[in-house]
Amino acid sequence: MSEHSLSPNWRAQPLGRRGFLRVSAASAATVAIVATTGCSTSTPTPVIPPDPHLITLVAGDQGLLSFAYLLAVAQATLYQKVIDSPASDLSVAERAIFTDMRDHEVVHRQVLRYAINPDLTLALLPTDFAFNLASFNLGTRAGVLAAAQQLEDLVVAVYPLLLPLFTNGTQRALFLKTSSVHARHAATVRDLLTPGSFANDDVVENAGQLAGQVRTKTPTEVLVALAPYFAPYVITAPNAPLAV
Amino acid sequence: MKLISLLDRLAAAPAAPTATPRRNLLGQLGRAALAALPAGLAALPAAASPKDTPFDAVAQLLLLERVQLALYTQALAVSGLVPAAQVADFQRIRRHQTQHEAFLTQALQNAGAAVPTAPAFDFSGRHGVATNPVLFPNVLSNYDDFLALAQQLEDLGVRLYKTQAFAITTDSQLARAVLRIHAVEAEHAAHVRGLRRGRGAVVKNWPSEADAPIVRPAAAQALTAAATGGEENPTQNLTLTVPIPFGTLLLIRDGTAIHDPALAEAFDEPVSSATALAALALFS
Repeated sequence: MSEHSLSPNWRAQPLGRRGFLRVSAASAATVAIVATTGCSTSTPTPVIPPDPHLITLVAGDQGLLSFAYLLAVAQATLYQKVIDSPASDLSVAERAIFTDMRDHEVVHRQVLRYAINPDLTLALLPTDFAFNLASFNLGTRAGVLAAAQQLEDLVVAVYPLLLPLFTNGTQRALFLKTSSVHARHAATVRDLLTPGSFANDDVVENAGQLAGQVRTKTPTEVLVALAPYFAPYVITAPNAPLAV
Repeated sequence: MKLISLLDRLAAAPAAPTATPRRNLLGQLGRAALAALPAGLAALPAAASPKDTPFDAVAQLLLLERVQLALYTQALAVSGLVPAAQVADFQRIRRHQTQHEAFLTQALQNAGAAVPTAPAFDFSGRHGVATNPVLFPNVLSNYDDFLALAQQLEDLGVRLYKTQAFAITTDSQLARAVLRIHAVEAEHAAHVRGLRRGRGAVVKNWPSEADAPIVRPAAAQALTAAATGGEENPTQNLTLTVPIPFGTLLLIRDGTAIHDPALAEAFDEPVSSATALAALALFS
């Protein structure tokens, strides 16, 4: 059961030229997708069937948006789950914080969804795609906060590298506005899990020329870190500028 | 509040996109190779208004860091002001501000630019004149008053870094560093807000219209305007002309609407450099 709130009509809808991601063609579902992306019907059948769960992020700003969208889907999925079935030792005040963070991530996710496909006609992800929460221990406060910290730290780490890759200045400015909200989330959940652990040395450089600056991760590093949670789907970003 | 935020929005209106002669002056800002610049810089008119050239951007951020650093240095020097349990927090924040100041100073020096002299800072708002009215009472004697000022300066820091992040168009390494520091400022701000909430203030970790306002005299409103003025902005743009249609975007899967203040909370706004500088000038 998918945890994200995407259109259930994914299979019925054409993936237009502005398609968010490329799913390779093997399953019945993905065959339909590829057939509508402009590929010639005379394309020879590949000798080796491609992986039906391989999702390749496209090049350019659209790929950047897609990557950011996946992060927002992951966060919104986690926080929605925390609100739907909160750990019994998560306090009322903490649940309110998670509700706020859920709201923020839903806003971010929907803005990215709109940026990718302004007329909202495309389903961006397969219906059975989900950010898999099974390996998190969401039954305890500590597990909830650890999961939230892991995601927020990753997002904070990648945005300083992601933002300069945008060629569209308006989009870059908008996602700059969301990036500090993620940093606020990160500090908040870090402080809840371990008081005073905001901006600690594990996430901020403590020596050298970059001392006092957040430790960064490339989009590829983030996809590797999140790969277990996207399984069975495999997300790759081989195209510029994400791949750089 | 509404008037102030309106003024702030007017002040934040984008300047005409005409290039100024200074725009590319520090085109190599941050690179050690350019030692030949100082003569040209020295000839700049002293009264040049800020146009967010790379030099202005770094100079403004340096001033911001110096204000923050001075506040934490002075506060940590007052025995008992910061509770023992939080001393380490503010030592960490102060260490980061020291590192940011050193980084920005180095960036100017590497570009061959003159490093502005640090003014003396007075957190009472009296500008060092004992007969002037006190605008920020008890900042260095009452922990809650200290925290309130720290929160506003950290929020302002997030906003000014945001504003300047892409004013530094000519040095991608420096622009990235500004983005990395921007994130650290946001973590500081969220932490200070959390500390205040722990002491009974009605405040979230992110600027929200649900926050209880920090009461300041009229002469100190420039700080409030710079820290959170316009933060309630409900309109965002992905293109210059068409606002994002949040009304059609924001139904959660089961039809539950998001909480009303959450939309504005989801975006931290930038601040115009004029507004930021007016606030920082309260302390020197």
